[in-house]
Amino acid sequence: METEVKPQFITVTELNRLVREEIENSPYLTNIWVKGEIFNLTYHSSGHIYFTLKDDAAAVSAVFFRNYNKNMKFRLEEGMSVLVLGGLTVFEKRGSYQLNAISVRPEGAGELQKRIEQLKKKLADEGIFDPAHKRPLPFLPKRLGVVTSPTGAALHDIIKVALRRFPNIEIVVAPAKVQGDDAPGSIARAIKELGRPQWKVDVIIAGRGGGSFEDLMPFNEEAVVRAYYNSAVPIISAVGHQIDHPLCDDAADAFAPTPSAAAELAVPVRSDLEDEIKYLVNRMNMALSSGMKRLGDRLAGTASRKVFRDPYEIINMREMLLSDAESRMAMHMKGVIASRKERLLHIPDITMLEKRILTEKRHLFSMQLQAIEKLSPVNIMARGYAVVTGAGKKIIKSVAKIKAGDKVEIQFHDGLASAEITSAAKEK
Amino acid sequence: MDKAKKSAPEPAFEEALAGLEEIASKLESGELGLDDSIKLFEKGIQLAAFCHKKLEEAERKIEILQKGGSDVVARQVAVKSGTGEIEDDEDIQGSLI
Repeated sequence: METEVKPQFITVTELNRLVREEIENSPYLTNIWVKGEIFNLTYHSSGHIYFTLKDDAAAVSAVFFRNYNKNMKFRLEEGMSVLVLGGLTVFEKRGSYQLNAISVRPEGAGELQKRIEQLKKKLADEGIFDPAHKRPLPFLPKRLGVVTSPTGAALHDIIKVALRRFPNIEIVVAPAKVQGDDAPGSIARAIKELGRPQWKVDVIIAGRGGGSFEDLMPFNEEAVVRAYYNSAVPIISAVGHQIDHPLCDDAADAFAPTPSAAAELAVPVRSDLEDEIKYLVNRMNMALSSGMKRLGDRLAGTASRKVFRDPYEIINMREMLLSDAESRMAMHMKGVIASRKERLLHIPDITMLEKRILTEKRHLFSMQLQAIEKLSPVNIMARGYAVVTGAGKKIIKSVAKIKAGDKVEIQFHDGLASAEITSAAKEK
Repeated sequence: MDKAKKSAPEPAFEEALAGLEEIASKLESGELGLDDSIKLFEKGIQLAAFCHKKLEEAERKIEILQKGGSDVVARQVAVKSGTGEIEDDEDIQGSLI
């Protein structure tokens, strides 16, 4: 019988440990860039990102731990083509391995990214990105210049937003190619053209809608970045992007993440401005009328004082003066009244007052006249008295002057009679 | 130094608006007499009218620049305001400048 020779073997655990040590220490499998597309992407609540990296023929699971991904400037997307820097780790328990990512960048970035970084440094050294160079955007642009593709959605978006916000704005479009090799020259020419004074443009929006990294490359080209920097009028960069800012953003006076957002930045909402004006005018109105009311109240306070409540008081006072003057200076009365009247012209009813005084005077005069008339002998005789005259029309005042048989005449208030005395005797 | 001597240029819209705001605040302070208040109020009304004029100045038109011979010319186009699309324009591609 042959002795069965037990082969040399290792356990599964040992195998997986060996593999792990081999792989994790291999200079070929640590700190390597792996190119692929992202699938089964999961942003886990823990902050770790899990995905499968694939190409046409193979796949590998990958994890991007929170510590490494927290400074990432863009968001991974399903199907995105990326370069992943990392190393392999092995799960001994399952005999599987995964790619442990340290950094992820969009694919295509490599060479181009390097070029952009170099250009950025060069232009920064020149001061192209200097914030001090940036101009404020006009508050109320009358004419808006637009540099973009004449057929792209970006143009529609800008026009739509601008007209919605300010219905009577004027828009001048300088069409440009925004993609391909001749795009940079076209964009730069269009920006320069719109800056010519004849177009009277107050502000320019230049850009395009979002696209792949390559699509947006023209906006990283030196000629375009310089055109933004040299724009004769304030310019807003409006390149739709999700990943990195194109360089033109930093050379422009302002930038927005989409063309629509740029239109909002450039064009004010007309109705808001109208409301603002209305509000301020209203405030002025309110302030003025409340000021008027304050003055009015003060006036009312003054008017309620006695002298205004009872204007006849003034008249009464003047009347007293008048009567006084009247009695003391009868002959100059008219002159005095006239001069007082002159001074009192503004007091209402002065003529009434004057009339009242005259009426009183007239009344007084007629009373006096009546008293005088009562003293007249004619009036006395009318009450039943008569006058007796003798020879030579001498009034006989005493009975002693006549005797029986004398002829006399009796004078009544209304006629004359002749008579003969029959007896005369003195009273005892 | 000469600044004051130069005839004042037309103020910008935002300056007029700021002036209006200032006048409203002054009137609200109630520190002015009636005459000054009315003078200031009239100035405010003028500024408001000026602001309205500025808002009316633009004439709503969309133009597209094109090569016209050796020069660049502006061609007016109609747009659908709802979508911002340029209407019935076959020649939209035009000749890029």
